[in-house]
Parts: sequence; C-alpha cells; structure tokens
Amino acid sequence: MRKLLFVVERDLRTFLQFKVLIIMRGIWFAAQVAFFGLIASRMVVPELADIYFEYYIAGVVVMTLYSSSVFIGYDLFEEAEHGVFEYLLSLPISRKELVVGRSIGGGVRSFIFVGPIIAIALYVIGLANPVNLLIALSALFLFAFGVSGMSITIAVSLKSGDRFDILMGVVNALIVRLSTTMYPQSFVQRASGTYAIISQFNPVTFASDLFRWGAGIERYLTMNPMPLAAIVGLVIFFFTFTLIGVTIYERRLEGGGWQ
Amino acid sequence: MRAVLRLIEYDLKNFFRYKWWLAGLISMNLADLLIMAVVYSHMVSPEITEQIRSYFSFFAPGVTVVGLFASAFMIGREVNMEVRRQIHHYMLSLPITRFELAFGRLLAGGLRGMVYMSPLLLTTFIFVGFPTFPQLLTILGALFLLATGISGLSIATAVSTTSFEKFVTARGLVYYILFFCSSIFYPLSLIQTLGQEGIMPQPIVILAELNPLSSGADLIRSFLMGTPAFELNMIRNLVVFSLIFVTTATYAYMKIVERR
Repeated sequence: MRKLLFVVERDLRTFLQFKVLIIMRGIWFAAQVAFFGLIASRMVVPELADIYFEYYIAGVVVMTLYSSSVFIGYDLFEEAEHGVFEYLLSLPISRKELVVGRSIGGGVRSFIFVGPIIAIALYVIGLANPVNLLIALSALFLFAFGVSGMSITIAVSLKSGDRFDILMGVVNALIVRLSTTMYPQSFVQRASGTYAIISQFNPVTFASDLFRWGAGIERYLTMNPMPLAAIVGLVIFFFTFTLIGVTIYERRLEGGGWQ
Repeated sequence: MRAVLRLIEYDLKNFFRYKWWLAGLISMNLADLLIMAVVYSHMVSPEITEQIRSYFSFFAPGVTVVGLFASAFMIGREVNMEVRRQIHHYMLSLPITRFELAFGRLLAGGLRGMVYMSPLLLTTFIFVGFPTFPQLLTILGALFLLATGISGLSIATAVSTTSFEKFVTARGLVYYILFFCSSIFYPLSLIQTLGQEGIMPQPIVILAELNPLSSGADLIRSFLMGTPAFELNMIRNLVVFSLIFVTTATYAYMKIVERR
C-alpha cells in the first residue's frame, strides 16, 4: 500500500510541472463557457433554452476531467524517451502496484486540476443537494481512474508517441461527441438511432449524467434509475480498464520498442 | 522565384510526412461535422434555422475554415522547432535571399492549408451545394488569402519565442479566441444581439465582425446558401488580415534567422 502511495505521489508531482497544459485547459474552459455555452444557449429550441447554459457547463467539466485524465499516457512516452522506464522497473515495486498506482495518480491529479473548474461550474449552476454532489464526485473519481487506465493501456499497447497522440485525438473526438456532454440524449436519438445507442453506453455519458444529477440539473438525464445506473456503468468501465491495463502493462512494459 | 518554389516543395513534402497527424485531424473535423452538427441540427430553434437553412449546412463551411486554420498554422510549429534547434543556420547557408526564404515559408504554410482544406471544401459542396465557376474562384482566392495570413500569424508567433511551451500557450490562446469569437459555430447576428443586450462586451463583438475566420466562413455561406448576403467587407477583412501578417511574419522571420 505504501509503495502504491509513492507511485501516486510521484505522478502528482510530475503533473504540476505541466504548467502550460494547466493554463491551456483553463483558457479552453473559459472560452467554452463564456462564448460557446452562452451563445449556443440562445440558439437552441425553447424547451432547452432555459437550462442549456448550465447543462453545457456541466458537460464541459466532464470533458475537462476526461482530457486531463488522458494526459498520463503522454507521461509514459516522456519517460520512455528519457530512459526513466528502466529506472522504474529497477524499483522494489511490483508491476501491478506500478500500473494501479499510476491509474490512481492520473485520476487524482485530474481531480486536483478540475477542482477549481468544478467550483466555478457550481458557482454558476448552483448547488441543490450537497449529498448528491458528494455521491456524484465520488463516482467521478472512478471515471477519472478508468480514463487514466484506458490511456495507459493504449499508450503501452501502441508504444508510439505519434500514433498515441493521433489515436487519442480521434477517440476524444468520437467519445465526447457521441455522448451527452454537449446535448441531451433525446436530441441524439432524433439525430440518429446508432449515435443514440453508442451514447447510451458511453462512460462519458455516465459521468455527465452523474455530475448533472449531483449539481441538481435533473431534466434530460439519460440513465435510469439515477444514480445507480450511471455508477454501475462507471464501476464496470473502471474495472475493465484497470484489469486490462494491469495485464497489458505487465506484458508490454519490458523489451523496449518505444518510438 | 525558383528558390521560393523549392522552399514550397520542401515544406509540402514535410507536410505529407505527418500522415497520422493529417488522418487524425481530418477525422476530428469530420466527427464535428457528421456527429456534432447533425445533432445540433435537431436542437437549433426554428427562428435560427430560418436564417441558416440548417445547422449542418451552416457549420460545414465553418469546419472547412477550422481545418484550413489548423493546417496552415502548423508551419509555425516547425519554424519554432527550427529556431530552437538553430536549424535556420543551415537555411542561411543556402543560395537563397532572406526575403525568398521568409516568403517561401509563408506561401508554403498557406498552400498546406489549402491542400488540407480541399477535401473538406468538397464535402461542403457535396452537402450544401456547388458554387458557380466565378464564385468558386472567389472562394479559393479568399481562402488562399486567409491561409497565407494564418501562416503569417503562425510564423510571427513562432519566432517571437524560443520556448516551445510559450509557443503552445500562445497558439492555444490564438486558436480559442479566433475560433469562438467568430461565426464558425454560430451566426454573427447572435453575437451582435448579445452585444446589444450588454451581455457580450462590445470589443468582443467587433472582434467577431472583423475576424478573418468569420469572413472566410460567411463568404462560403453567402455563395452556397445565400445567407448572410455577400459583402465586400468580407474580402476587405481577408486582404487586410493577410497583408498585416504576411508583412509582419516576413520581417520577423528575416530578423530572427539573422540573429546570433
């Protein structure tokens, strides 16, 4: 357990070096909310117009949490480039502890980064029920760990920085757009049945629903019953990627081949 | 002129080395168009739809301009890397004048944008409608002006810092301000209405009106959809933007490569 905490602590310290990333995400959040959120809320149908600004802000929080959790994958390439992997392998820590610790570290640091953004979002949206919010945030930890695990799994499977960068860009484009971060499920359904099916089983949808439920935006939730359905979805997502991540990380970590 | 063509050839060949990057960027642009815009088409109010035909048709020219911007801006990343690694010393040893060197890089950046944007523009034509031949020439000319201006903006940003992190931050800031303060995602009339209501500050409204990305996207829309109406201001904005950044980038690049 202590070794696991050392791994988590190391990843937290590493993240604070990425000041540019933190500034960039901050600017992105501000631009999304102050421009797109505000203007798009004037563009949508009347049934949605009164709630869309708050709905969109909650979606942007989940998008930010997703993209900052993915960032741990990029760290692996930095470490491979600088030969840190060999050093990590020489430490008295098992491979399992290393990957689980890194997933947790990736998830915790995303939460630290998203913390101020969540506070701003709640200031704008308002806080209806603190207990619901606590339940939602606890479940969102699982989401952040799961996304970090997914990022590690893909990075270690590909072992190519360029391919990882592109694949994560494509995955990001698809996973966010085919979710309810930007629009309610009923409108996704009207647009395409296929999109709606993907959106309904998308972990980003589970996370968006949970955050909205926690913040008191209960109109247009996808999952039913809430919060159980979304939490179960996130637990499955977390365990799947943590287990796959541990297996692949153990098998692929040694032997070099990083590009 | 031959030297400029050689430089363009050099930069275009470099551009096609980024196959994965191009594939990723195009899939992101298509995801925006084929998923986000399709869903928004069902979400936009009837009053707005009356103005823009459908959100999908409205957004298709916008995503073309987004693609043009991202690919034309890429030259700055390479120039910044060359400045950091001092590869420009090699460039200076070539039998090319400083002006040709700077101008060639600028044009190459613009052409890269045009090459990348072509399939997106064709997709827009297929879904929204085809322009007449003179309209097509006007669209291509205007987008080339825009691409060259973006290339200039990117080179000017790249040579103003030797730190990659600062370049990335500056690039992000430029991206978000120009993308969101424009008519790429929403009609200009909405931004103006928010300005009249005092919700959006007037400088932001003016920036959106003068933004070359608004002019580029609205020019395509005016020919393909008839809305907003074509105005000479659109061309004027693009010419002014292009002139400013071509001049600034040429001068800045010439200065930076001569620096010890």
